[in-house]
This record gives sequence, C-alpha cells and structure tokens, in this order.
Amino acid sequence: MAALQTILERPQRWDVAFDPNMDDAAVDRLLATAPFSSMQADKFPKRTPLREILRNDARILRFRKGEIIVRQGDYGTSAFLILNGAARVVLKPDLPPALLGRRATGKKGIWRTLAQIWNGWRPPESISNERLTPDAGLGARQDEAEVRVFLQDLPRVLDQHRTEQMKSGDFFGEIAALSRMPRTSTIFADSDDAELLEIRWQGLRDLMKYDDALRSHINQIYKERALASYLRATPIFQHLDKAQLDRVAEAVEFATFGDYDWSGEYKRLAQAGSVRPEKEPVIINEGDYPNGIVLLRAGFARVCQKAGGGERTLNYIGAGQIFGLAEIAHNWRAKDKPIDYQYSLRAIGYTHLLIIPTRVMEEVVLPSMPKSELPSLVESPQKTDDLPPPESVARDKIGGEVLEFLTENRFFNGTATMVIDLDRCTRCDDCVRACASTHDNNPRFLRHGPSAGRLMIANACMHCADPVCMIGCPTGAIHRESFAGQVVINPATCIGCKSCFNNCPYDAIRMVEVRDEAGEFLVDQESKPITKATKCDLCVENWGGPACQRACPHGALTRMNLNNLDALTRWLKK
Amino acid sequence: MIRFRRQFIIGMLALVAATIGVLWLHCKFHRLLPDYSFLTGWGLFASMLVLTFYNARKKLSFLPLGNSELWLQIHIYLGFFTVVLFAVHLNFRLPQGWFDWILATLFALVSASGVVGLFLSRFLPRRLATRGGEVLFEKIPALRHALRDEAEELSVGPDAKSPVVGEFYTRRLASFLSAPQNTWRHLVESRRFLNALLAEVEDLRRTGSESERTALDKLAVLIRQKDTLDYHRALQLALKIWLFVHIPLTYGLLIFTAAHIVFVFGFSGGAR
Repeated sequence: MAALQTILERPQRWDVAFDPNMDDAAVDRLLATAPFSSMQADKFPKRTPLREILRNDARILRFRKGEIIVRQGDYGTSAFLILNGAARVVLKPDLPPALLGRRATGKKGIWRTLAQIWNGWRPPESISNERLTPDAGLGARQDEAEVRVFLQDLPRVLDQHRTEQMKSGDFFGEIAALSRMPRTSTIFADSDDAELLEIRWQGLRDLMKYDDALRSHINQIYKERALASYLRATPIFQHLDKAQLDRVAEAVEFATFGDYDWSGEYKRLAQAGSVRPEKEPVIINEGDYPNGIVLLRAGFARVCQKAGGGERTLNYIGAGQIFGLAEIAHNWRAKDKPIDYQYSLRAIGYTHLLIIPTRVMEEVVLPSMPKSELPSLVESPQKTDDLPPPESVARDKIGGEVLEFLTENRFFNGTATMVIDLDRCTRCDDCVRACASTHDNNPRFLRHGPSAGRLMIANACMHCADPVCMIGCPTGAIHRESFAGQVVINPATCIGCKSCFNNCPYDAIRMVEVRDEAGEFLVDQESKPITKATKCDLCVENWGGPACQRACPHGALTRMNLNNLDALTRWLKK
Repeated sequence: MIRFRRQFIIGMLALVAATIGVLWLHCKFHRLLPDYSFLTGWGLFASMLVLTFYNARKKLSFLPLGNSELWLQIHIYLGFFTVVLFAVHLNFRLPQGWFDWILATLFALVSASGVVGLFLSRFLPRRLATRGGEVLFEKIPALRHALRDEAEELSVGPDAKSPVVGEFYTRRLASFLSAPQNTWRHLVESRRFLNALLAEVEDLRRTGSESERTALDKLAVLIRQKDTLDYHRALQLALKIWLFVHIPLTYGLLIFTAAHIVFVFGFSGGAR
C-alpha cells in the first residue's frame, strides 16, 4: 500500500492575524496617522511591508472610561498607541491589589489556620462565596468578545492616587513588550471613546527595525526609563560615576533573540519529542572576536562548547548574568596574547539582552574595576575539543546528564521548582497529603514528572522567572504576589478562560470545576459548570513555607531556584 | 552526603551520651530512690508520647510545627533511647505476668517494625532510582492492564497470525501480565524469573519466522516493562506496608500503657 502523504502549506507568520477584522479602510486610516504617516514604506522589505504589519500585527480596541488597559505587574506581549480619546496612568501610589483583580496578600490568621483541621473534610474544590466575590470596586463586562474590567469608583481612584493623562499619539507598553518585563504602571481609559491601537511585539520589532525614528524613540525611552537604574544595579558598573555611566548607557546596544512565544512552540516540540539545541539562535559564536560583553536582561541563554560534531552545554545563564567578560578583561590585560570568545551563547526561548561594546569596556568599565574584581587571565584557551572545560562550569558540578536534562526541559525557568531526590524519596506521599491539607483537601501538584538519574522534577508550578502563564490573562487573576513574587491565582476574578492553562509549558496548571460549600457544582445561567484555574501557590498564605517541603521526612524534596546551580549542587551533595 | 553524615554523627553522639547518662543515673539511684520505677515509668511514657506525636505532626502539616525531617531524626534517635529507657524501667529483667508480657511484646514489635522501616526507607529508594521507570504506585494497575492488552493484541488478537506466539502467550504470559508477580524475588533483587522468561522468548525467536521474530521482540520489551512495574510495586509496597504494622501497634501499645498506668496507680495508692 502506498504511504499516505498529507501535503500542507508551510505555515507562515501571518497565517493568523492579530485581528482578522482589520480591513483596508482601517489600515489606510492608520497609514494616515502619526507615527505611521511619517514612516517610509519603501524601507520595509517586500516580505514584511508596513501595510501588512499593520494589517496583521495590530488591532484597534475601544475602551470606555474607567476600563483597565494594562495592569502594573502584568506581563504583556504588546504595546499601545492612543489613536483617539485619552488614557490615564496611575503614578503613585499603585492601585491596591484587589482593584487589579488580585487577592490581598497576607498570611492566614490563627482561626483560619486552625480551621484547616476540619476543612479537610470538605468536598473537593469547594470554595466559599467570600473567596468567589471580587472586590466591590471592580466591575467586569463582556465587550467585543473580550472581557473588560473597569474601576467602579473612578472619582475615588483619581482622588486617592496621583495620575497623569495620556493623549492621542502617546505610546505605552513598548518596554514591557520588547523586554518581557512586567508592566510598570496601571493605565485605564480616561474617556468613553478611547480608541487604541494594540501592536503585538512581532510587529513592533519590525517597525523598530525598519523605521529609524521609532527605533530611536523607543531606545531613548528605554534608556531614560529603564536602563540607567538597571546599569546602576549591575555589580560591574558600581564603581562608575554618573558621567561614566552615561557614556556606557549611550553605547549600549539592545538585542532580542529567539521566539517571544517560545512556550507554545516549546510545548509542541516537546510533545513531538524534538526539542533540539542546534535550532536555538546563536547570540555569540565560539571563536569569534570578542566585540562586547553580553548582559542578559530577560530570558535565558545556553553556554556551550564545540564537542565532536556538535555542542555540549556547559551552563545556562539568566537575567542579570554576564557573558564575555573574561575574554575582554583578558585581552585588555594581556594585549600580546589576545583570545577569542571561548564558548558559544545560544538563546533559549526568548532572550532580551544588552551589549556593551569592547571599546567602552576597555576605556571606561575595566579601568574602574579593582584588580580583585577582574576575572583572572584565561590560561589555557580551549581551541580543541579534548581540553576539559573550566572547573567553574555547571557541567562539572552536577554532571552532563543532569545539566542537559534541566536545559532541554527549560527547568532553569523555575524559581521554586519542586526537585525530588529519588535516592531518598520513599514515595510515601506525605508531601501530597501535606499539600492537600493546606489547601482544603485539594492537592495542587502531582508527585511525578520527568527525571534524570536520581533527580525528578515534579509536576508543580515552578513560579517561573519568565511566567508565560501570566501573558494574556484578561482579568489579572493570575499574578505575582507583591511581597515575595510567587505566581498565584485569584479565584474571585478567574473566569476559566484557560489562557494560563494553555500557556504553561510545564503543564503545571489544572482547570477544575468548582463547587459551593455544600458540595454542589457551581453552574452558570446555561447550566455549564464554572471552571477555575488552580495550581501550587507555594503556600503563600501559610506560616512556615511550602508544606510539601516541610512534610518530607527524608529531606528528599525541596523547592529551589534552578537558575542557581550552586544551590542544586549543594543540595544533591548534602 | 555531608549534611546527612553530620546529622548521623550528632544523633549518634546524643544517643550514646544520653544512654551513658541514663545508665549512670540508674546505677547511682535505682536502689536509693523509693519511687525510682515511677520516675523511669513517667520518663518512658513521656518519650513514647513524643514519638507518637510525630504522626500527629504529619497530619497537622498546615501548622508551623517544624519540618518533618527534623521530627524524623528526633523520632529515630529518641526511639532507640526509648528502648534503653524501657530496659531501665524493667531494671534489665524480664517482665512478670501476662499483662506485662503483652506490653513488652507490643513494645518490642513497635521498636522492631520501626527499625525495619528505617532500614527499608534508607535502602529501597536508591534501588528504585537505579532501576528507573519511575511510576506512581496508584497507576501501576492501569499500566499493567495496558501492557496486557498490548501483548494480547500482539499474540492472540485479530491480526496475530502465529500459533506459536499465541500458545506462548496463553501458556506463559497471560498469567504473568494479568497480576503482580515475583514480589519476594524483587525484594531480594532476584532476576531469575525474568531471565528464564526472556530465555524462552529467545528460544522461540531462534526458530521463528520473520513476523514471529518481530512479534517476539515486541513481547520481550513488554515483558521487561511488566517486570519493572512488578519491581516498583514490590518495593513501593514494602515501603508503605511496614507503616501499617508500626502505627496500629503503636496505638495498641499506648492503650496498654495507659491501662498499665491505671493498674499501677490503682494498686499502689497513687504516686508518691
């Protein structure tokens, strides 16, 4: 029998437009509006013309007064341009968590703690009315197939918070969209006819690429709002005075690598069993001339070394870490023995980084650093495959198999990953029972998951450094706790849209049908069950930290930031 | 292993020191103090209560009562120390009367089951990790059924054409795949059964046709998977089952101890 073949047109970038209803008239209108009217369409390549970027990567949204456009602390993938009407940004103080659809932070009181003794007998996933009721200051309406959340008592908000109006032509949200950082402010519509253009990050990236004015405008905003404070907080720049820091800031180049929507792609590839490191975009090639240091601002990158016909992972680095400093410091000090980049750097998922050129490093940064802080000279440049990697690399600490396992599965994203040492775990499930008893008889994780050697990563929320689950939540129900940064879900504002459930690449979120306190399933007007997203909340409301970790009698389970391999090494060797 | 070794050294030193201290006190005071057995009895009872409270700590995991790892360490070393206290309380003599014998037997069984549990929980997890194929205990029956269905389909299903493979399945594999097997063999790490079964598959394979060889290769994989499931079941069962001895006996011991206290006070005129 002849083999069956399915011929499929290769998927293209604009197969799915951001808004399928963007028509020619809307695009024409945009092209006549600043800043697009001043953009030179002929500078855009034929594959990504300006017109098509606007048609496919943008959409026009209308908001009524008081409706929230972006929330402070949310992760977003798009920027906004006010076309008509006005918006208002909340400056200080920030809106309280309840007004952003979040639950108030706080530990359980003594009575709620003790009440858990009998709450364990409740039916599964039963939830009190009190926990299901959103804050009275917040309203929600279904608008154009989207849920819009609005502030009920706007005059009071304006009275109690310092705000500033933004008018048509103003851009916002571009830094968060490009750098994958949380939004810094809450912005809501300030007129009933506010019309905004939302541009998804791919479109914004291309607009910046081919339009010098927009690029320099956004770079300038970036430098003004985010860069100076970031550089000041970076240890290697701590000895610089303001003038020197300004010079560094002026020379900084920004770059993004990889796919912003890596989670979906990764999930698909992981399910097909074809996650391949060689597909990851190269940031730095081993053997190239070191023309700058790389500072990771967001995301992760893999440090690798050529081995045989391929590459082996030596380490991975995350936000705040630096690549290439050793080589540039070596060349600065040993000018007669210059070396190239010793390793390659590849983006994993999405990586946003800053590059400080070698010239600025040599003229400004390195002379300011005390000798004790300078990296030591590279004694034996690794030009051949058979030379061992330096002692400091992660591969030596935890072994190649575990390192590849953590990298391939992207577990380094977790700041509180549930790690189980199978050599000590007696499979007693005390951790699961403890989790259930702290969550009214509902366990929030599965004591099972991928493993390598004696290490297992259980199926529990890892409270990611890059929380892709938070992208796209329409009500802000999934959010970071303001105190310690755990990713939690507010059941009162969760509408069961599955956005977080679908986004999570680690399958750590579950959708459950909820019940009332009597055990009856809650249903909507059409008798469909009400579903809510649930996941591990790291026992944020309980005293003493995660119950799972405290419940393990054999010290076999821990919650760990896997971006810190030293901690993992210490734990494995304890 | 640095932390665990440190825990072990500290625990052992504390145990040895406490034992020496108690034995010294016993030698010095057991003839001098008139209420000596009351003193040792209450001490023994208090340590038994602390040991039992570990189980309550597990059930009250939402309260900040310290981590379970520390509790277990205390449980282990205090458990050994309680054996010393028990011997001191008996004045290193055998119990007298049937009630005391029951009490002593229960104490011995609780202590022995605890030691067995400690031994199992220190050695079996490593064997499970080394074997691989990690599986949740509750999922084993479903996985076993899936393996059996796959093997059945391969051997006697509508597309199966080999009577040799069908006969081998019916004779040797059907029962093997239908229920847990070789629990004791797995506990003692014996692979004789698996090797014998795979040898039979290899024998058939040598003389089989191409399609039979393909089917037998697949069956060999399923046999190995089933054996791994049985291995996990046997070891995980052992890791769970000792607690079903240790905990009920503990509560039995506590009831008899309470009765013992009542009897002692009832027949002695109260504590003096």
